[in-house]
Amino acid sequence: MNIEHFLKQAPKCMMGNGEDSDIVMTTRIRLARNMANTRFPLSFSQQEANEVQEKLMKALLMPQEQLNFSYFRMADLSPLERQLLVEKHLISPYLAKHKEVAAVFLSGDESTSVMVNEEDHVRIQVLSAGLQLMETYERASELDDRLGKQVSYAYDEQFGYLTSCPTNVGTGLRASIMMHLPALTMSKQMNVLIQMMTRLGMVVRGIYGEGSENLGNIYQISNQVTLGKSEREILDELQKVVEQIIEKERNARKKLLERAHVTLDDRVNRALGTLRYARVLTSEEAATCLSNVRLGVDLKLIQGISPSSLNECVMFIQPGFVQQYAGTVLDAVDRDIYRAKYVQEKLGEDRLTTGEKGEETYDV
Amino acid sequence: MICEHCKQRHASVTVTTVQNGQTVEKHYCDHCASKFHPFQTEIQEEPVALHQLISNWFGVPMWKNAQTEEKKTTQNACPSCGFTYRQFLKQGKFGCAECYSTFREQLPPVLSRLQAGTKHTGKSVAVSVEQLKQKIEEIRQQMQYAIEEERFEDAAKMRDEIKSIQHKLDAGGVDV
Ligand SMILES: [Zn+2]
Ligand SMILES: [Zn+2]
Repeated sequence: MNIEHFLKQAPKCMMGNGEDSDIVMTTRIRLARNMANTRFPLSFSQQEANEVQEKLMKALLMPQEQLNFSYFRMADLSPLERQLLVEKHLISPYLAKHKEVAAVFLSGDESTSVMVNEEDHVRIQVLSAGLQLMETYERASELDDRLGKQVSYAYDEQFGYLTSCPTNVGTGLRASIMMHLPALTMSKQMNVLIQMMTRLGMVVRGIYGEGSENLGNIYQISNQVTLGKSEREILDELQKVVEQIIEKERNARKKLLERAHVTLDDRVNRALGTLRYARVLTSEEAATCLSNVRLGVDLKLIQGISPSSLNECVMFIQPGFVQQYAGTVLDAVDRDIYRAKYVQEKLGEDRLTTGEKGEETYDV
Repeated sequence: MICEHCKQRHASVTVTTVQNGQTVEKHYCDHCASKFHPFQTEIQEEPVALHQLISNWFGVPMWKNAQTEEKKTTQNACPSCGFTYRQFLKQGKFGCAECYSTFREQLPPVLSRLQAGTKHTGKSVAVSVEQLKQKIEEIRQQMQYAIEEERFEDAAKMRDEIKSIQHKLDAGGVDV
């Protein structure tokens, strides 16, 4: 498949209705691996970089493995194409930046990507909708097993899978849950919860990268520890924390509905008004309004807007996608204009197909 | 309680670390606690140097504590990538897999601060086709010597071993 296939829409895996998908947007599993007898990308030569690429191509593009990956060298993509892949979370910003050595394998449904020569030689990533830690891990692990039989991994009896950064060594596993937590944020409980999660060995950050801590009230929660615990222990602990947060968010939503029904109803509908009628939308305002509308849809204060359109908007309000939508390079001012146009179009489509699409159960 | 790091703000976060098998509790304010968090090494463009992290953790620069240690370890460079231990502390990253063997002795204290332990207990690695082929080559050579030295019984054992590895190879590699 050519690169255009991967740039047009939001990943299908993000559009599904997984478990608790009103609060948990996606589950992401990442496994860091390195090849034996080859220096890490931090200190390897261009020749070693090419060898890593070639070995992985042999292993992952073998017809008998039937993995159906498409392969792209970063150097062959335009800056906008790289940016779009980053905004879709299919590759990391780090991979896009190291374009002389980096490449990526993408599965047709975009659920699986294998990043080549990121900070480590291999980073396997699997994305799913909703909360599906074990299932998503199993898929990543299966691919890892298949790859591990083709190429020799750098592995140590004591330290496990060896990685460039000691914060990844051992299992090489980073599991991340992306959650929409508007009620906990509105009721100012997030700071305390972030502290709690930090103490439990979790890492919390915003989805649009650093410095955007809670833009759109979306948080990414991941495990910090990778050594001294098994994969199952790591996933079980994260699962427990996430379940607690889900419960707290549901309670906070219930309380908001009980105590501030009118204020909440007003806020979510005003947000919808802004998205529908604004002519200029900054990414911050768009993210905030999308979060409020999403909450309104989840709480049945708003009808006729589908959660998947909102998920799509969350991704498409980012600068790269706005420029792709406009079909040209834009400065920040023009981006805000095209962003408003895109959101209007997207939510307008929903109004025409009102009905079944907006129906999503929300059990309090 | 006052934050153990800045000694200014009220301590509201308790950080538990395991050092040489002993659990140590440290108390920090929100502000300082967030700064120590190791994930910062991952998301910042210029990673917070690991030595900074570690010395922050103790409130004293690392090599003031361990000057003799430093002399010994700076000379100790990784044979494969040339990294020294000091370079590792500065960058917070290793240059290659062999660094882990080169600095094996020094790593447990560092790892126990970042991690839940210093021993991998997760999934073990699969044996790759590449490694099996290498193994066959090694045994084949030994078998050659055995035959030359007329140790035919040994040679027969080695031939069987090769056969069994070849069998695994045909199955596409196996887990240990
Ligand atoms: Zn402090
Ligand atoms: Zn090295």
